Amino acid sequence: MVGPLHYLFLGAVLFALGGVGVVVRRNALIVLMSIELMLNAVNLTFLTFSRFPLVKSAPTQAGFLSGHTAVFFVIAVAAAEAAVGLAIVIAVFRSRSSVNVDEFDTLKF
Amino acid sequence: MEVSWLYLIPLLPLAGAAVNGLLGRWLPKAWLYAVALLVVLLPFCIGVFAWWQVAHIEGETAQVRQLVYTWFSVGSLRVDLGLTFDRLSGTLVLVVTGVGFLIHLYSVGYMDEDPGYWRYFAYLNLFVSMMLLLVLSDNLVAMFVGWEGVGLCSYLLIGFWYDDDAKAYAGRKAFIVNRIGDFGFLIGIFVLYLYTGQVSFQALKVAPLSLGVASAAAALLFVGATGKSAQLPLYVWLPDAMAGPTPVSALIHAATMVTAGVYMVARLSFLYVQAPGVMAVVAVIGVLTALIGAVIGTSQTDIKRVLAYSTVSQLGYMFVGVGVGAFAAGTAHLITHAFFKACLFLGSGAVIHGLKGEQDMARMGGLRRLGLKHTAATFFIATVAITGVLPISGFFSKDEILAQALNTRAFDFLTLLPDPGSPRLAFLGPAIYAIGTVTALITSFYMWRCYLLTFEGEYRGPPEVHPHEAPWVMTLPLWVLAALSVVGALIVLPSRQLPFTWEHFTEGVFARPRGGAPLERLPELVAFGIALVVAWAGFAAAWSLYAPGRGLQGDERIARATPRLRRALASALYVDALYDRILVKPLWATARGLWRAADAMIIDGLLVNGSAQLVAAVGSALRRFQNGDVQRYAAVTAVGVLILVYVFLVRG
Repeated sequence: MVGPLHYLFLGAVLFALGGVGVVVRRNALIVLMSIELMLNAVNLTFLTFSRFPLVKSAPTQAGFLSGHTAVFFVIAVAAAEAAVGLAIVIAVFRSRSSVNVDEFDTLKF
Repeated sequence: MEVSWLYLIPLLPLAGAAVNGLLGRWLPKAWLYAVALLVVLLPFCIGVFAWWQVAHIEGETAQVRQLVYTWFSVGSLRVDLGLTFDRLSGTLVLVVTGVGFLIHLYSVGYMDEDPGYWRYFAYLNLFVSMMLLLVLSDNLVAMFVGWEGVGLCSYLLIGFWYDDDAKAYAGRKAFIVNRIGDFGFLIGIFVLYLYTGQVSFQALKVAPLSLGVASAAAALLFVGATGKSAQLPLYVWLPDAMAGPTPVSALIHAATMVTAGVYMVARLSFLYVQAPGVMAVVAVIGVLTALIGAVIGTSQTDIKRVLAYSTVSQLGYMFVGVGVGAFAAGTAHLITHAFFKACLFLGSGAVIHGLKGEQDMARMGGLRRLGLKHTAATFFIATVAITGVLPISGFFSKDEILAQALNTRAFDFLTLLPDPGSPRLAFLGPAIYAIGTVTALITSFYMWRCYLLTFEGEYRGPPEVHPHEAPWVMTLPLWVLAALSVVGALIVLPSRQLPFTWEHFTEGVFARPRGGAPLERLPELVAFGIALVVAWAGFAAAWSLYAPGRGLQGDERIARATPRLRRALASALYVDALYDRILVKPLWATARGLWRAADAMIIDGLLVNGSAQLVAAVGSALRRFQNGDVQRYAAVTAVGVLILVYVFLVRG
């Protein structure tokens, strides 16, 4: 029987994999993909709690709809983020001829 | 009598100074001269008008007053810019503007070729304005403004040729020595305000003062006078002040500014008569200064330095006058001295002008027959006046001071120590008379030496310099001042009955000293006889050493007879060296130590640079976290979040 803990554990593993990818990968495209992974791990967690509410008095048979709503928001924002992020990566690649994030250190004092 | 036009007297020269100082560089020369001369001539005319009115008012209220405005009012202290034109200050206004105008006129000739002429006339106008404020102000605070103002102008004009280090240094020396005196003056004002709450002369006149307060205030104010009027021990700046242009020496360092101390003591006569001990100090300092100035004057070879020491000496006489309570005699000598000393200085200026800047009497001689006949004649008349070989102005005014010193009873009730049994100071008057008479002998000697070495005998200068007479703008003031030196005798004639004498004219202006009416220790005619004999003895001594044709043999003979004394006198009794050793050098050392320890180490090193270095060190430590690697930031943030999660969820 697959319970909420399985979903939550999978979400945590995906989030951790995404987090590690954001921190250690050097290719900006991979970093963006890792961020997507983290966002989707969050989506999975949202849906888990929506399907298996922690309180008994859920308003509908399918649990809370607010979790679904939040997921839609996240997907929309992730799409926008991917568009802007890819645009930035392309702009940076045009000026630096590289997508290696180690070389993007102009924020340094 | 209240009037509304008195403010014009000090304001006009101030406006002239502003015009000449701000626009002078671009004004045509003739216009600048016209402005500079007019703003001194017009106050003179106003002064004559006011003087005429004052002379026709009888009694103590013989004055024209104007309250220009209230300067400031703080708590119970109210300081007005008030002007009082009475018989004393009014006459001095005429002297300042009259002699000042002549010297401005002379300067037109003297400074014509100097590139800084516009600056010069701006300073000179400013000086006249400040001097008039000093003389006219009706309270101590406004007087102090004028007092500082003339000091500033003196500094600016001594160091007028500021690209010469020695001259700039002389200016600074004058300013700093005067600071010492002015400090005393200021504390004196504070003492009077502290104990009476008043600063105006009218209010102070009636304010009750204890002996201690009066003495402290009078003594402190006199410290200011010793600075401004070059008395012991602060006279050392005046001989060096001769670095300025010669007309400046005539106006500021002979005729007007240096007499401000005498004027101040006379103005505050009501205060000084309440402090008889201080008056004795004033008289003693005066007579000692007179003697020392005259003695040093005998051995100077720079013509202007001779006259400078002569001024120190004559100022000493004036302080003897006001010190023994003969305020009228002291101020009368102030006026006659303004005439003949201005004439002497301008004469020396004409000589320097004619010899292309030569000031050493060793390279002069015979100038009377080499074309400088106006200069020689006027210098002769002024020399007669100061030495008193003939009874013209200087003879009477100096003799009156000495006679008053001899006959005074102002010191009869003073004792040397507070203990009533200690010796009385009644001998002080006759002692001052004796020293003053010896000084008169020396005065006659050095002045005739100066005249003979400069104008008689053979020319000793380099042959390529051809002495020439000055233009009329310079000789005219000489003749006017020479004439004033002669007719100035009228106001100082000894007879009390004559209505126009100074003593009669200023009755009611001055307070009477304590100690009762003066005695007559010597009959008047005997005193005159002594004065004449002394003056002629000085002349004879000078003639025997410096007679025409002997050249510098006189100096050489003195040098051979008393080489040590001669050397000491030529270096002004080593007073400057002494001050240098006991005051200037230690002050320099202290300042250097404070600079190294307090300024360089603590303020610069620890506070300013130290705080900057601390911030820089913290910054360079912190900048390692700001490496620009966004992934590192993300990792740090993740670690931080993990720690927070651990703290709040697992442990909490």
